[in-house]
Amino acid sequence: MKRTIFILGFFLVLLPSFVNAQDTALNVIGNEKSVPQSMNMNQLKAVLRGEKLRWNDGAKVSLALMKTNTEVGTRTCEKLYNMTGNELNKYFLALVFQGKVKAPTFFNSIQELEAYVAQTPGAIGVVENTDKELLNFILVDGKKQI
Amino acid sequence: MKNNMKGLLLVLSLLLGLIINDKMNAQNTNIRGFVDIGASLENDKLSFEFGEYDLFITSELSDHISFLGETVFKYNDEEESFEVGVERVIVNYNYKGNHSLLIGKQHTPINYWNASYHHGRVFFPTVGRPLLFEANFIPLHTTGIALQGLNLGKLRFGYNLLVGNGLGSGELKDNDKYKSLTAAFHIIPVDRMQIGVSFYNDVISEGAEIHGTHGGLIQEKTNQQLYTASFAYFGSRFEVLAEGTSLNNHTDSTGDHHALATYAYAGVRFKEKWIPYVRLDYLNFDDTESYLDNEDTKSFIGGLRFELNYLTVVKLEYQYVDRDDIGSNNKLTFQVAIGF
Repeated sequence: MKRTIFILGFFLVLLPSFVNAQDTALNVIGNEKSVPQSMNMNQLKAVLRGEKLRWNDGAKVSLALMKTNTEVGTRTCEKLYNMTGNELNKYFLALVFQGKVKAPTFFNSIQELEAYVAQTPGAIGVVENTDKELLNFILVDGKKQI
Repeated sequence: MKNNMKGLLLVLSLLLGLIINDKMNAQNTNIRGFVDIGASLENDKLSFEFGEYDLFITSELSDHISFLGETVFKYNDEEESFEVGVERVIVNYNYKGNHSLLIGKQHTPINYWNASYHHGRVFFPTVGRPLLFEANFIPLHTTGIALQGLNLGKLRFGYNLLVGNGLGSGELKDNDKYKSLTAAFHIIPVDRMQIGVSFYNDVISEGAEIHGTHGGLIQEKTNQQLYTASFAYFGSRFEVLAEGTSLNNHTDSTGDHHALATYAYAGVRFKEKWIPYVRLDYLNFDDTESYLDNEDTKSFIGGLRFELNYLTVVKLEYQYVDRDDIGSNNKLTFQVAIGF
């Protein structure tokens, strides 16, 4: 009995961190045309920083991100840019001002972002962890969740 | 003359062909702006200041072609009226990958500051530009044609090769047959760091009018070369920006004249939004310099920047300047710079 209580207690302690890990995971989705089905983390970060203007087939890269004041937007900044939301906004404003990139399109809702990526050739976006079947998930380092 | 005309027609035909064949998209135009206001205390006199009102437009014209325009409205103290300056008009043709062809008036990509901050003071790490700008040490603008590459390879190599109307030219045509050449290269070895070098060459004709230079009118044909090195690091905690430009002016009668302009900026970020900073400027000219005002200058700046957010930045700055002829001066400046 003592052993059972100990094991249950052990899992109860671990459960919150497990749930938290699930909640904070992100997925990368891409338009079916032009966007590769898999890439490594370094390649993904370079794309999201605006360092790649075109995909290998010549299609223009279009970035779709959640607004930096949303929960997913904040997580995207931390995990994929190593920046705060404010830093990310400044980063892209400066690059646009220098004429080096087109600014990402920022969204208020995940649904709008998903629709944009699905309809825009060359678009790639970051969304919260989901199992929606219609989305075209991009594997990063072989995994769906990042 | 005929050959020049043929060449021009060939380039125009080529561009027209590229534009016609390019996939036309719905036009996507964005208008942004920057403005700064502030106050300064100098010689026991407090003045309120209106800085530059900068209008910035970008437009996606097609899949490969985009436009960028920057127009500045600012008050001209001598004329006692506002004047309009078209600072940048660039048509960008992204012909392959990260390689583009740029045509129009652009900020000469000689150093990091001129190629990065333009007229958006919300981006400036200090209240104003380094003194080498004030001394007309580098040509700020060039109207011409450029090849640009960005983020190439593991070191994120970038290049900009610009041929344009040289110094003394107007906005509509070149004042002489000589073209200026700018070749700028940089790498980004780690995130937030950029290391660059550039070379600028121009021949300035006798009689050319150069704003802000010694006497304004060039007395003798001058060959000018500028060599620049830059280091920039804007990390989440530490910021460093150091640049130096070596100038050589050569005339047949007086030979070579050298000058050096450098500055170094450093800042440390506290509690995300507060950045105390310092900047040192140093300008040194040969005594025989005839092109620029040969006034050796040293300056120290100490300031505090408060970044309320990426669109609102407040700065309080003290500057001590020591000029060879005029002597020393102290100035305290307060600035609010915003983007909208």
